[in-house]
Order: sequence, then structure tokens, then C-alpha cells
Amino acid sequence: TVCDFIFRLKGILEFACQLDNPNGVQSQSTISKSFQDLRSKVTSKNIVFTVCNSPVLIWPNTGFQSSVESLTEASACGDILQWIESDDGGSKKSSKKKDKKKSGPTVVNMKLLFEVTEPAGNTAPSLIRVSTQQHCVKMPLPLDCALSVTTDERLETVCTGLVEALNKQLADMEEVVLQYRKGSSFLVPQPFHFQLPEPAGLITVVYPAGVPDSQLQAVREDLHRKFELPCDRPYLRRANAFHFPDAAYKDGYLRNPHIHLNPPNIEDAKLYLVQGVYSYHHYMQDHVDDNGWGCAYRSLQTICSWFQQQGYVETAVPTHTQIQQALVDVGDKEPRFVGSRQWIGSIEVQAVLNQLLGVTSKIMFVSQGSELATKGRELANHFQTEGTPVMIGGGVLAHTILGVVWSENTGQIRFLILDPHYTGGEDLQTITDKGWCGWKGPEFWDQNAYYNLCLPQRPKSI
Amino acid sequence: MGRSYFVDEAVGEYLSGLQAAPGSCVTGLLAGQSSPQRDFVVLAVQTPHRESEGQLKALKGVSPLDDIDVEWVTEHAKQVSRMLPGGLCVLGLFLVTPPELSKDAQNALKRLIFAVEKYIIKGRLWELSEEDVTDRVTLHICSKTKKLLCKTFDVKDPKSSAKPADWKYQTGISSSWPMLTCSVEVDLQIPVTGSSSDNTDKCMKDGLRRWAKQIEAAYCLINGRQALDDSELISGQAHVCSFQKKNPKTTNRQTLPARIFVSDEQSELGERSSALVQVCSGSMRVRGVVHCRAYIHNNKPKARHAAQAIKRDIINTVCSRVEMFLEDLCINEGSQKGLCSGQQALPRRVFAPMPISGLSVCDYMFPDESTADVAERLKEMLDCETPEEDIDTSLENNQLFSIISGFEITDSQDDDSSKHVSEIQAENHKIQKPPKYYAVGSGRYSSFMCGPCSSHCSPCHSHISTVFQLMEKAKMFV
Repeated sequence: TVCDFIFRLKGILEFACQLDNPNGVQSQSTISKSFQDLRSKVTSKNIVFTVCNSPVLIWPNTGFQSSVESLTEASACGDILQWIESDDGGSKKSSKKKDKKKSGPTVVNMKLLFEVTEPAGNTAPSLIRVSTQQHCVKMPLPLDCALSVTTDERLETVCTGLVEALNKQLADMEEVVLQYRKGSSFLVPQPFHFQLPEPAGLITVVYPAGVPDSQLQAVREDLHRKFELPCDRPYLRRANAFHFPDAAYKDGYLRNPHIHLNPPNIEDAKLYLVQGVYSYHHYMQDHVDDNGWGCAYRSLQTICSWFQQQGYVETAVPTHTQIQQALVDVGDKEPRFVGSRQWIGSIEVQAVLNQLLGVTSKIMFVSQGSELATKGRELANHFQTEGTPVMIGGGVLAHTILGVVWSENTGQIRFLILDPHYTGGEDLQTITDKGWCGWKGPEFWDQNAYYNLCLPQRPKSI
Repeated sequence: MGRSYFVDEAVGEYLSGLQAAPGSCVTGLLAGQSSPQRDFVVLAVQTPHRESEGQLKALKGVSPLDDIDVEWVTEHAKQVSRMLPGGLCVLGLFLVTPPELSKDAQNALKRLIFAVEKYIIKGRLWELSEEDVTDRVTLHICSKTKKLLCKTFDVKDPKSSAKPADWKYQTGISSSWPMLTCSVEVDLQIPVTGSSSDNTDKCMKDGLRRWAKQIEAAYCLINGRQALDDSELISGQAHVCSFQKKNPKTTNRQTLPARIFVSDEQSELGERSSALVQVCSGSMRVRGVVHCRAYIHNNKPKARHAAQAIKRDIINTVCSRVEMFLEDLCINEGSQKGLCSGQQALPRRVFAPMPISGLSVCDYMFPDESTADVAERLKEMLDCETPEEDIDTSLENNQLFSIISGFEITDSQDDDSSKHVSEIQAENHKIQKPPKYYAVGSGRYSSFMCGPCSSHCSPCHSHISTVFQLMEKAKMFV
């Protein structure tokens, strides 16, 4: 079933408790009691959902009331769209022009609020003073619940579902808090959403803040078992968290520009593409003027971004300097290499991937560019099993290969190329229109030059 | 191009009716509402007489202008500010002088207006926004010619000079002003670090400030519509509230219910990865329901200004009663403050009709006070007689029932009596049923805890009379 909507509810609830003795036996039940109070709060009549960028307020625990008359219990959740103001009109033009593929479910963002008016009683305030020595603990719980639904699902069901999700998330948070607490040191429980293969779908896992993925291996193993996920690739590392379609990436790099392209229509051919998410790195980014010499570095950065975003590494994408230093560190280059504008090739890319990321790569050698047209099977296999971007260097140029369309029968082949020689800004329209990310035929390669390809291998880990 | 003050005719009558002893001055306050385009004055009150005034007359050769008790004027201004509901504030001062002092009156007024503003904003938990008007009006009246000279000063700029302003009389300025109302549940848990009374004050202030920011940032519905943008406040159906039923001459006024929605988002706690833990010597909790009111002029007001007015009233009312309580405590308990435990009622808010305009003013009643005390204060601070039956005490309920349940005399020999207290208090918090009493042991009052101060002494001296009254009512005496 394809889900048309994701309803996402976010809000901060403050956890507070007073502990007489943080190391005492009583402290656990005090903490649990505070969580119980928070669960009561989210099932009370005072909670309100507000739909972002709209005048809609919903009281989910009062038999469904909304601030907008036409939205009732019986309303389909899709009806809510007409009330939401879109952020800007500008983006609409480009989407009409491009023959774009459907970009995924519509996200409806909601915020959790509490009403402080309309109280049950009317008794004027008192001041209650307690003077015992206590540890006063305060922690903001970053609640974040998401529900995938189809367009005809009733809005009321969605809201009830979100309340249940809040309750469950608080219970999960309590478990994490208690498990990782040391005396009066509490770690903030943070929710992460993951899009798993059906039937699991969109799930949420709570991880303790500050505990690195490497220390959460056992937790992931349990979850892989529970959701019957393959044990050789990561699905539940923080980097694998579901990226909501409407959210911009804070770092400003474009993600997967290739999804906006239609693959060439070749008879009898199959499509083999990079799996997962990468960022597009190219000339002139990060205030580094590498025009004319940095293309292989940029391809390497694209590959590193893939390993980071699939959750294999937590290190940031390396800078030109860091790449050069890594080559010096492995003894491949002299120290004066650092800060120079010297080119690198596939072998250097392989060496850096190993040194900085612990990733091994295979090298494929092609003695003439015309031969690349015959490497369909190897490339298809690579994208099927490893699914990593491929760096190709030869002649005077380096590029990244993101996939192939290849017919086993006719041998016809097209290459999906991501070109690091682009010097402009992160303008998706230009990049796709002008072919900076685009499908190329075998004539794209210098027919006489020799080429080396670096094919990075996925580590077998979760 | 100065400001325009639209003043209720009745204010003019009050001002002309003022009697000044020959050669002396009369100071007083002007209250109302400012909006970006124009200002409205709905109340004038002369500074009440101070007992020590007799002594001042003995000083010869000192100009009456220099004799003005600035401290007393500012104190009066602060007291009156506390009595004004949301949307209304002290807008300025008036000064009546004999003709020979008119020349120096401007300087006196300038000194006073800056002193008053400075004193009023002390301890306030919200900041003025860009849009708030910072001009305050000074009105000089010559006692002989009755001539009015109206000027404004920008209190944001200590170097500002007087600007001319218009003073225009009109009838029924505020008769159609909508009244926003709401009841707000407050439950603040405030940790206390350190043990001195200064610490208690600071912790309380910090805790209240955090809560005030939450209220300021809160989502607001007025009469069912969101109050965010520049849309105008369109008054919907009028609700007749109990106050209007008591005072039929105010039936023109619409009541707009406000609803407030908060989130716990606090930027200071924002991106933490671990909890904030403080070692505290204790904690304070402010818990209960406050009734709030605000007025907004009806010259095309914006919805968000109305929202701001009611929010400020919510913040002010909680802040005022805590301040008053702590001031009172300071006088009574002295250095013992901050060290003992227990539950005490904060003064509760009552409303009365404002002189002249038909708007309402408020006051705060301590548990041991009555409407007679309120009437006396209204007379002194607002210079008006208020019949006791016009004082509405029904909007906030007396905390006495929830506290008196601390007078539980239990069957059990259980030492953990504080646990019982909180259980019963939780029960009674919502339902106003009379508490149950149980006899214990040999004497009727053997195992007795003093509710208001929780000391384990049979009713302590401060509270014994209240206990007896209630026990009499509950027919505990055979």
C-alpha cells in the first residue's frame, strides 16, 4: 500500500522530578511516576494539536473537536490540505516545467500544545514550600511521532493514533532514561524515524543522546531480529534516519539529483542504480577554488558522503587538505603534497577510502575508453550488490558513475554520470537541464584514453 | 505633530473638582490605554494623603514643588498599576499648581514621570515590544485659571524633551471597549538553591520569568479565532458574564473569551544531551487558577494587540500576588523567610467597578481580609467609594477548603501525615465539598497539624482562631 500522507507531530515536554537520593532505591519509582504524569498529560483534555501554517487546532482527547467547523470526526485526513498555506509560490514554477517523478508522500507537520485556560476548578493559587534537600532534575523530551496514512483515512483516526504514539514514545523514553541513568546523570532520549521495508514501514526508535552508534550495536541487533532485517547492512544507525520529503538539508548540498531524471528508454534493458543517499560535491564548493584540478577530490567527497549517510561512518566528508594529508599519512605522497593542486586518481581514491573510512575498494582497469561499453555486466553487478557510487578517472578527467541502463542481450548501455566539474550553485534545475547530472552514451568517454575505476565495497555491518 | 489624548469627560469633571490648599500642589495619576495612533485616558486619581504630610508644612522657604514626595507618588503609581486589568496602565501624571509655580511645574513633572515609569517597571516580567508606545503624558493645571497644559515625554530616552500633545474631552470613551477574559491554570514548580531569603526571591523571580516567556510565546485564540497576524479583532457574539448581570449599565460591552495554549519549548534547555540537575535546598510551587481580564480600545484594534493585553494580564496577576505575598512575609516573618515548609494561600483577585468609566479594576484579598478591607483600599488608592456588594469575589475561589483539609485528624497512628494532606488536597482541589473530620485518641485535637504552616503543633498561634471558626462551623463541638 502506498501511503499518501505522513502526519508528523512534534513537541517538547519538560520532564521534571525531585530526587532525595539519586542513588537510592526510591529514585527509580520517582522517575517512573514523573513519566506516568506526563503520560496522563498527553491523554488529558488539555492537549491540542496545531497544524503548522494553518489556523487548524484539534483537541484529540475531547471526542475530536477542531477550531475549523468543516473539519469533523468524519473528515478524511486529506481535507486538511486546503487549510495549509504553502511556504512560497516560487517553487511551483519549476515543478510544473520539469517532467518530475512523484516525490513521495505529503508531510503534514503538527505541533503539540497544552491549553492552560478552561481549567476544571477555580481555586485561587497557593504557594507550597518544601524545604528538604533534593536533586532537582529537568530535561526537555523532544517528542516526535510520525504516522503514515492513506488519503481516505479519517482525521479522527489519525489523531487518536498520534496520541497513542505519544504514549508509546513516552514509555520508550522512560525505558531509555532508566537504562542509561547513572545516579543523577540523565541522558536525553531522542527519537529517530526509520523507513523500513514493508510490512514494518515507518518506525520510531529512541536512542540516548551522546551514546555513539558503535555502542548501540546490541540494540540494533535486537531490532534487526525483531523486524527481520538483513544482518549485513545498516538500517537503524542514526544516519539512516528517514529524511522527511519537505525538510531541507541543513548543509545545503543537493541529495540524489539523479532521481529527477528519467532513465533512457532502451529496449530490453534494465536499470541498475546507486542505492541510498549521496550528496553532490563539485568544483568551487566550501569556498575552495579547485577549478581545473579538484575533480577527483570531489568525486571522492561524493563517495564519502554516501558512506556517511548510509550510516557506515560518523566522520564528516573530508576536505581537500584532509584527503591530501591522508595520502601523506599512508606514505603515498610526500608532505609537500598537502596544500598543492596536484591531481589524484582512482588508486589514491582507494587509498583514502581505506585510510579515513576503513572502506575497501576494487579497481577496474580499462585500456581504452571504447572498452567501457563492454563493462555493462560488471557495473550492473556492482550496483546490485554494493550499490555505491563509482569514481572513474582517465584522460584528464574524473567523474562519478551513479548507475547504468544495460541490456544483457543487445549489450546497449548508458551511464548515469555525476559531473564534479560544475562550478555553479546548488541549482537543481540547471544541474539536471544542462546535464551536470545526466545519462550519457558510450561516446561520452575518450575512446583512446585508459581509465581506472574505483568501486567501493560495502562493509558487512549493521 | 504630537500625540492626541482622548479623555473621558468624567475625568475632566474629576480634575476640575480637585481642591488644593492655597499655595500648595496636587499630584495625581492618569490611567488608560495607548495605541499607536491615539491614546485614551479613562481615569484620574489624586495622590492620597500621607500621614507625614503635616510635618512637611513646617519647612518654610521650600517650594511646594520640591516638597512633592516623589517616593509616595511612585508608590501610589505602583499600587494603582496592580489594580488595573490588562490593556490599561498608568499613562501619565497631572499636577495642579498655583499660578506662581506654573513656570517650574514642567521640571517637576519631568522628574516625576521618569521616576514613576522606572518604579512601575521594576520587577515586571515582560519587556516592552517595538510597537509599545513609550510616550507618557504630563498634564499641568493652573489652580486659578484652570488652564491645561498637556505635554508628553518619551520615557525610553532620559534626555528627551517635552513634546506638545492634544487633550480632548469626549463622553463614554470606553463604554464599548470589548473585555477579554479567561481563567488560567498555573502550576509552577520552582527549585530553590541556596538558603537565604535573597535566594528564595531570586529563584522565584527566575521561575516566574521562565513561565512568563512561555505565556508570551503561547498560541492564543480570541473568541474562537487565532490572534496572530495583523488581522483586526472582529468582535463576535457577545457573552453576558456574571459581572455584567450585576451591573446592567455595562451591557454595551462585549465579552470575548480568550484561550491560551503553551508548549514547553525553552531555548535554554534546547539542544541538551543530558538533564539539568541542580542540588536544591527545597522547592516552591505556585498552584491554582487565576482569573484574567483585559480591555482593548475599539478603534480598529489588531487581534495580536488584544492577545498581548490578556497575556500581560496573566503574567502581571501571578507576579503581583507573589510579590505581595513575599512583601507581607518579609514584614511578618523577617529573617525566617524561606526556611519553613507548608502551604499558604496567595492573595486572591477580586474585581470592582472602576470609577468613571464602567471598566473594572481589581484588588487582591489576603485570606484574613474581607470586602470591607478591599473597599477601604479602593477608597485610598483610587479615591472612590465602592459599595461592598459591588466587589465581585466569585471569580477566584477561596483556597481555604483545600488548606483546611490539612487540619485532618486521622484515625491512624501513621506519622506520615503529610501524605494524607496531599491526597485530600488533591481531592478537594477540584470539588468544593466540606472536608471530613475524624476524632482521634483521647482528645479531639490530639494529632493535629497546622495546615497553613504544617508545623506539628496543635494549631499554631497564627492560625488558631481560623481553626476554631471552622470547627465551629463543622459542628465539631458537642
